[in-house]
Amino acid sequence: MGKVRISSIQLFLLLSGFLFGSTVILAPAKGAKNDAWLAILIGGACGVLLMGVYAAIALLNPSKTLVDILEEKLGKVAGTIVAILYVWYFIHLASLVFRDFGEFICSVTFPEMPMVVVIGLFAAVLLYAVNSGIEVVGRLSELLVPLIPVIMLIISLSLFTVHDFTAFLPILENGITPVLKTALSFITFPFGETVAFLMLFPHLNQKEKLKNVVLISAIVSTLMQVLIFFRDISVLGSGLMDRATFIPHLTSLIIPEFNIEPLVDINLLIGGGIKISVCLYAASRALCQIAGINDYRNLTGAISTFCVVLSIWVHESVLDLFSWTEKVWSYYSLPFQVFVPLLLLLLSLKKSKPSNAGTANEK
Amino acid sequence: MVIMKTGDNNMTERKRIRKRIKVRNQSTGHDNTHTDSCEPIPETVEAVKERLGEIFFGCSDFLHREVSCGKNGLIKILVAYIDGFVDKKVLNRDVIHPVLDFLSNTELHVGSSIYELLKECVIVNNDIKEANDMQQAVDNIISGEALLFIDGENKALVIGVKAPQGRQVEEPDTEASLRGAREGFVENLLTNTVLIRKRIKNPNLKLEMMRLGKQTKTDICICYIKGIANDKIVSEVRKRLRKIKTDAILDTGIIEQYISDIRLSLFPTVGNTEKCDKLVAKLLEGRVAILCDGTPYVLTVPYLFIESIQATDDYYDHAYFATFMRLLRLTALLISNILPGMYVALVSFHHTVIPFKLMITLAASRQGIPFSPFTEAILMIIAFEFLREAGVRMPRSIGQALSIVGAIVLGEASVAAGIASNLMVIIVAITAICSFIVPPLIRATMLLRFVFLAAANFLGFLGVTLVAVAVFIHLCRLRSFGVPYMAPISPLTLSDIKDSFVLVPIWAMVTRPRILWQKNVSRRKGTNGQEAKAKS
Repeated sequence: MGKVRISSIQLFLLLSGFLFGSTVILAPAKGAKNDAWLAILIGGACGVLLMGVYAAIALLNPSKTLVDILEEKLGKVAGTIVAILYVWYFIHLASLVFRDFGEFICSVTFPEMPMVVVIGLFAAVLLYAVNSGIEVVGRLSELLVPLIPVIMLIISLSLFTVHDFTAFLPILENGITPVLKTALSFITFPFGETVAFLMLFPHLNQKEKLKNVVLISAIVSTLMQVLIFFRDISVLGSGLMDRATFIPHLTSLIIPEFNIEPLVDINLLIGGGIKISVCLYAASRALCQIAGINDYRNLTGAISTFCVVLSIWVHESVLDLFSWTEKVWSYYSLPFQVFVPLLLLLLSLKKSKPSNAGTANEK
Repeated sequence: MVIMKTGDNNMTERKRIRKRIKVRNQSTGHDNTHTDSCEPIPETVEAVKERLGEIFFGCSDFLHREVSCGKNGLIKILVAYIDGFVDKKVLNRDVIHPVLDFLSNTELHVGSSIYELLKECVIVNNDIKEANDMQQAVDNIISGEALLFIDGENKALVIGVKAPQGRQVEEPDTEASLRGAREGFVENLLTNTVLIRKRIKNPNLKLEMMRLGKQTKTDICICYIKGIANDKIVSEVRKRLRKIKTDAILDTGIIEQYISDIRLSLFPTVGNTEKCDKLVAKLLEGRVAILCDGTPYVLTVPYLFIESIQATDDYYDHAYFATFMRLLRLTALLISNILPGMYVALVSFHHTVIPFKLMITLAASRQGIPFSPFTEAILMIIAFEFLREAGVRMPRSIGQALSIVGAIVLGEASVAAGIASNLMVIIVAITAICSFIVPPLIRATMLLRFVFLAAANFLGFLGVTLVAVAVFIHLCRLRSFGVPYMAPISPLTLSDIKDSFVLVPIWAMVTRPRILWQKNVSRRKGTNGQEAKAKS
């Protein structure tokens, strides 16, 4: 495969695109209603920490992918089993994003289009990207991800006249519990999902910048989410916001005189595309390492087809999808996103301490 | 007569040269059928004449003149050349006349070689080389040199008396510019190299010659500035050129297809230009040029996407205008690609997006049109492509008639006849105008437009976006001689942004494109010829 390198700015944009992902159409902290901004801030703070954990793992195990680290720290057998579970997790994640995308397109833009066609075509384009290599995905993110904030800015500015800036009051109407619950789900979606990047971090060409890149992208996307929440709630009001399925889309529909609804599609296409590409890459790369296959491109076709099929089969309807994401996804993700990485971090710290002490002594 | 006492030495010398020739031929990848045998030049002029007669049998333009001279008429000299290729006046004045004079008036001493004497003292020409075997001699004759064979020698003198060929240097038709030099390249390779050398007076400007094409034996020249061009790219160019195995190189367009990174891409990864000042600017940025005898189009590599929206005028004018023009060109490129597709998507799928008043106009203009928007668009675009192609192929004097027919038939009559809507005509017209703004990508957009149209008819905006993403992926995937095609935007090279979709004033452009070569990027510091030599 040769030496594949992505620059720090590419990683930053990949991470940001990934974090936006489906949050472009789904307000992730919906459960907290008016206090979602609080939930986003709390969740974001924890998310930054969580992503810091991933960065730390990558820094303690330089130029090793998740599979390498798992096999080294947990032993050959247990490591392989956990790695296979991770592959499953990435595939599942990709298929969920596919489904989000398909549901959005089929319920908003093309109600008569069979969902499998939409998802299948999307998958074909992404397959081309992933097969071109992660470098190409990185360069693609440099071209496309900057469009996301631009489009958001366009939508937000056109809505300037219809804002009601007091809509988010009162604060903590229902107490702190729903806020914390939502914060937890906000940690797992989208921050925890960046665990897939553990397969990508070894490609970064400037290792010393990894920590900064990860933290900045997490902070930036948290702040963006907060801003988007304030925009949405001040435009829609809490009642409408509670009932809407695709909140940012509904917001863009309110723009007076113009209809720039397709721009939301583009945002979703970019964000979701980056997210799925990273997941597909991570899954096929990990499976290759487990199975000892040289080129991950041999597997991408099969894996993406599987994702498409899975995305159609796994949930019956959009309501099923949403309620499942809301209730089960967070807990289902916790072992992958929090427990195993924390375990890996502890093990890495333990093993690297002696060598650290050694270098300190030498100095 | 020539008295040779150093025959053995000569033999070893010849063997050595022959070996060297062999090595060179292998390294240039030529597999000439003759080099294997490496036929020596016969010693007697009679034999030479016979052999040349065999080789050039049936070539009416091959001429030779035999001269017998010396006090006793003993020394025979043969001059062979291709008619029309050499300047006969010069040949007579500089070669034949002095030789005759010299030989009939001079006493020859034993031990002196006529060959050396002629070469060093007699022939007035300053471009004299040696041919050591028959193949070399023949090669030189067919490339327009005069060959001088002397009795008793198995070497021949190659005398450069080429007559100037081809048209004068004039302004190229293809790349018009408001400001800047009007000189364009011509078909003659040497004229072109002079045009470049005239602008870069620096011995670091290197011109490497090679020959390609088994039948045509076309002269190819790799041109770069040592110390500014990336050595890796230069050697890559050399490698790719040597790999070309074909019998004919008629134009740089053929070379371009052989050396492109991804040969099946719609987008050009090798640039071409006809303008000297443009080429010189590219050389100074660290690019490598490939010149080819017989065509005014010079290739430049690596060629990046951003170069298609750059024009030479940009650098000669204020940076604000240039930046504006660049953004305009970028917009034009986008429009010429997706506008018909967007229109079809709007009309067939996304009525809601169209403002209400425009919707009424649109519906009114589409009333009574028998075709779907997609069919309508395809028909109109194909009609336009017909017009364009006809305009290219036709003699210029008929062009006027064509434009009238095109404007009236396509513009007015098709609307009046109810075949196309007014809006469609406008869309196609804007698309067409925009497509001419970025000439290097005309062919790519021409085809992509149909892809976008089909996608829009199938999936609306989503289709257009999906195809656009696929095109972006393709663009990100492309490389030109190892340099990412979309640089400096992706991968982002901050110092190179100054000359991309924005342009900083020329006094602020202190570095050469970093993406081409990391080293020696400063335009201010840096080396001239002498310093570079001292360094190396």
